[in-house]
Amino acid sequence: MTDMVAWASLAPLIALVGALVNAFFGKNLKEPAPGIVGSVAVGAGFVLSLLAFIGVAGGGEAVRVGFGEFLRAGDFTVSLGFHLDQLSVLMMMIITGVGFLIHVYAIGYMHGDDGYSRFFAQLNLFVASMLVLVMADSFVLMFVGWEGVGVCSMLLIGFWYKDLANAGAGRKAFIVNRIGDFGFLLAMFLTFKVFGTLDIATVTAMAPTMLYGSAALTGIGLLYLLAATGKSAQLPLHVWLPDAMAGPTPVSALIHAATMVTAGVYLIARTSAVYAVAPGALATVAWIGVLTALVAAIAAVGQTDIKRILAYSTISQVGFMVAAVGAGAYWAGIFHVLTHAFFKALLFLGAGSVIHALGGEQDIRKMGGLGKRMKVTGTTALIATLAIAGVPFLSGFFSKDAIVVATFTSGVLADVGGGVLFWLLMITAGITAFYMFRWYYLIFGGEERLDRGVAERVHESPAVMTAPLVVLAIGSVLIGYVGLPAFLTDNRVQAWLARATAAGEFSHPSVATEWLLVLGSAAVALVGLGLGYWVYVTSKGALAKRAGDTVLAGASRGAFGFDPLYKALFTDTGSGAAEAVSLLDKEVVDRGLVSLAGLVPLLGGVVRRWQSGHIRAYAFAMFVGAAGLALVAALLGVLK
Amino acid sequence: MVGFAVLAVLLVAGGVGVVTLRQPVHAALALVGTLLALAVTYVTLQAHFLAAVQVIVYAGAIMVLFLFVIMLLNVGGERLGDRLAWLRPAAWVAAAVAAVAVVAVAVISARPLPAADVVTTTLAGGNAGSIAEVLFTDYLLAFQLVGVLLLTGVVAAVGLVQRAAPETRPQERSLAGRGAPHEPYLGVGGEGAPVSEAAGGGR
Amino acid sequence: MVATEYYVALSAVLFVLGGVGVLTRRSAIMLFLSVELMLNAANLAMVAYARAWSAGGARIALDGQAAVFIVLAVAAAEVAVGLGILVAIFRNRVSTNVDELSEVRA
Repeated sequence: MTDMVAWASLAPLIALVGALVNAFFGKNLKEPAPGIVGSVAVGAGFVLSLLAFIGVAGGGEAVRVGFGEFLRAGDFTVSLGFHLDQLSVLMMMIITGVGFLIHVYAIGYMHGDDGYSRFFAQLNLFVASMLVLVMADSFVLMFVGWEGVGVCSMLLIGFWYKDLANAGAGRKAFIVNRIGDFGFLLAMFLTFKVFGTLDIATVTAMAPTMLYGSAALTGIGLLYLLAATGKSAQLPLHVWLPDAMAGPTPVSALIHAATMVTAGVYLIARTSAVYAVAPGALATVAWIGVLTALVAAIAAVGQTDIKRILAYSTISQVGFMVAAVGAGAYWAGIFHVLTHAFFKALLFLGAGSVIHALGGEQDIRKMGGLGKRMKVTGTTALIATLAIAGVPFLSGFFSKDAIVVATFTSGVLADVGGGVLFWLLMITAGITAFYMFRWYYLIFGGEERLDRGVAERVHESPAVMTAPLVVLAIGSVLIGYVGLPAFLTDNRVQAWLARATAAGEFSHPSVATEWLLVLGSAAVALVGLGLGYWVYVTSKGALAKRAGDTVLAGASRGAFGFDPLYKALFTDTGSGAAEAVSLLDKEVVDRGLVSLAGLVPLLGGVVRRWQSGHIRAYAFAMFVGAAGLALVAALLGVLK
Repeated sequence: MVGFAVLAVLLVAGGVGVVTLRQPVHAALALVGTLLALAVTYVTLQAHFLAAVQVIVYAGAIMVLFLFVIMLLNVGGERLGDRLAWLRPAAWVAAAVAAVAVVAVAVISARPLPAADVVTTTLAGGNAGSIAEVLFTDYLLAFQLVGVLLLTGVVAAVGLVQRAAPETRPQERSLAGRGAPHEPYLGVGGEGAPVSEAAGGGR
Repeated sequence: MVATEYYVALSAVLFVLGGVGVLTRRSAIMLFLSVELMLNAANLAMVAYARAWSAGGARIALDGQAAVFIVLAVAAAEVAVGLGILVAIFRNRVSTNVDELSEVRA
């Protein structure tokens, strides 16, 4: 059993080999070949992950695979190894499983692109980094993966770098992420100071023995939270994700929906033992998650770009996950990572299919009625929409319900506004259903508003693109059933992840209350969808137009003005400071140096005379030196 | 003491002559006188062997070489008008300071002389045998090096002075090309003077 | 016997006289003559000190005289090479004025 799990250590290596093959030989391969290489590399990783899954499911114990020492400095050592437990194996399955489907989809989507092999090389490199991130047995190795996905994210956002805006978006993502990475580094330093090691398993084992709620532990928790807000696009570092949509759609689906943005959630779940003894940090996590979910959901309503809506939706949904881990329901957060990976990847790939069909059009005001023309894309997108909206019996319902219930029953949040968080999440769930209905209806429903010339070209995407859609749609429907509410039946996800994460404290409401919560969250989803139907179908958008002038709508369109605010606060002050420094450099330093340089010839003019070339002058200098020495000797003698 | 005073006067007078006489031949002769007086001084210091060597090697061989070169090149007195006129007073001042300083050191670190008979027996007239013993034991390496130096000096002197074969004398040819009227090293008088003028003045 | 300090003082005077000669004379020949004067001044000091140290035995006392001997030999070599250079320079330059030999100027 252990061997079966250990073999999974090869998964990142295989992905890396795929990346290297595509990077060095991709140019010489004919079109589908780099895509096939990339897909097979990730697919093999999925098979290995599946075997590991079976292995861990049977044994239950975490498997550690060591490759020796990574770093050594005095007493401080970091091992190079993987820690394969339920949590990491589940993440591996998501990464490689969804990743494989997206790779296959990209074979069709990237057809004819100049950077075809480069794309798959970078995508494979991303998968390798992401696998290292989730498999690492130490924070240091995790940080390697963490930075690796950050670099790949930047490269892939700026994939079409010839458009400066795309390159700028990549840079923005990278820079904003650096703030989070800084938090990760500080958290590591503090972890080492408190625990004396950076081995995750050791830290997990030691954490319960630490002083409950001490400042150091809270500090560690808050710093890892800072790291998570960067990578998972949470308030206040969420601004990079909407711009990240500049990358190709498969990238948006894989990195900016299914996998990388969930790294923050994974990080908090992975360090759950620390958070379990740092309740202050945990409550902050929950509040950040809920506020992000709400703000991003409202922002999603006002967007008109097919991918930007999904981007804000992703921020919002990751907010749900963060809220879940903040409530101590680590399993629920990871469960939502799992379901979200399916339906959000599906939504993005569906959006990509639409963009592909319309030849690059991304404005949903110029779409509509596509459901008839693109049956597979339309149907699968409908399933994903219903799943994310939280319609009962689809996957999103179960995971979202688990989160909402967790905030309601969480012992950690009881004193810090758990009830408020619960209601905010319920409202957010309603808004989610509303904006997703808007998204679906404006693209696939109603009448066509296509530009002239585009309408004739609309076509369903090739099978290589629609097949992953179908697989993901099936997953979006069924995957939720692995985590049915605990009061109905065994919750497999909860039981499974309980072995890898700390246990949160939860009150146990009566079954009637549980039923009420389930029905309530179902009702919220239906109300949201109904509201959407009323606004966009019954009133044919007239209500939306009337509401468009309100302050809230303006705020939504501008996504609450974070970008202008940050520009004024950081970018402008930064460039202002840079200009001041530049002025200082030019006027003071440069000028000073130039005038200083002017002194040199002056001095040189004096010294030059000594270098007359006259031997006798040199001899005189020597003679004076000798006389001086004699004088010194005489003076010393006299003084003595 | 009287003897020392006489010698000192002779030596200083000779030294001043070397430094001040304009004609090189005169200066060289002053130096010969100085060296001979020095040899006598060596005798008063019980260094008879060195006194002999001084007369033979210095006053004899080396000074003859000097005079030979001076006369070969027919070097005249220096022209008036020193480009480094400031150097003359400065040099005298520096020299005075140095001399005073050295004398001061000598006086400060003065040690009593050993008894006369000790000096006489120890130095034994600077007998050649004792000096040879020191040279060939304690200073063997220095002695060998001096030997090498002398050999090198001989080779260097020959190499420097030897004239290249006619077809490989670019320097001279270029001089001739510039219209030098004479073989330059023959008809030369005062140093630094134009060739023709020096030739006229020198003969 | 005359005290060592007198000899050393005489030696110092001769030495600085030679130094003045080196500095003030412009002919290379005169420079050489002055240098010879300086060398001999140094020799005088060494011989004087040899006598002052003769209480320590021949081995120590004759160190000074042996050094003088070596200086003599070095002076001979120096004169051979120096005068050779002089002749070579004179051949090319028609002058032994060192002030005109200022190619080493910076």
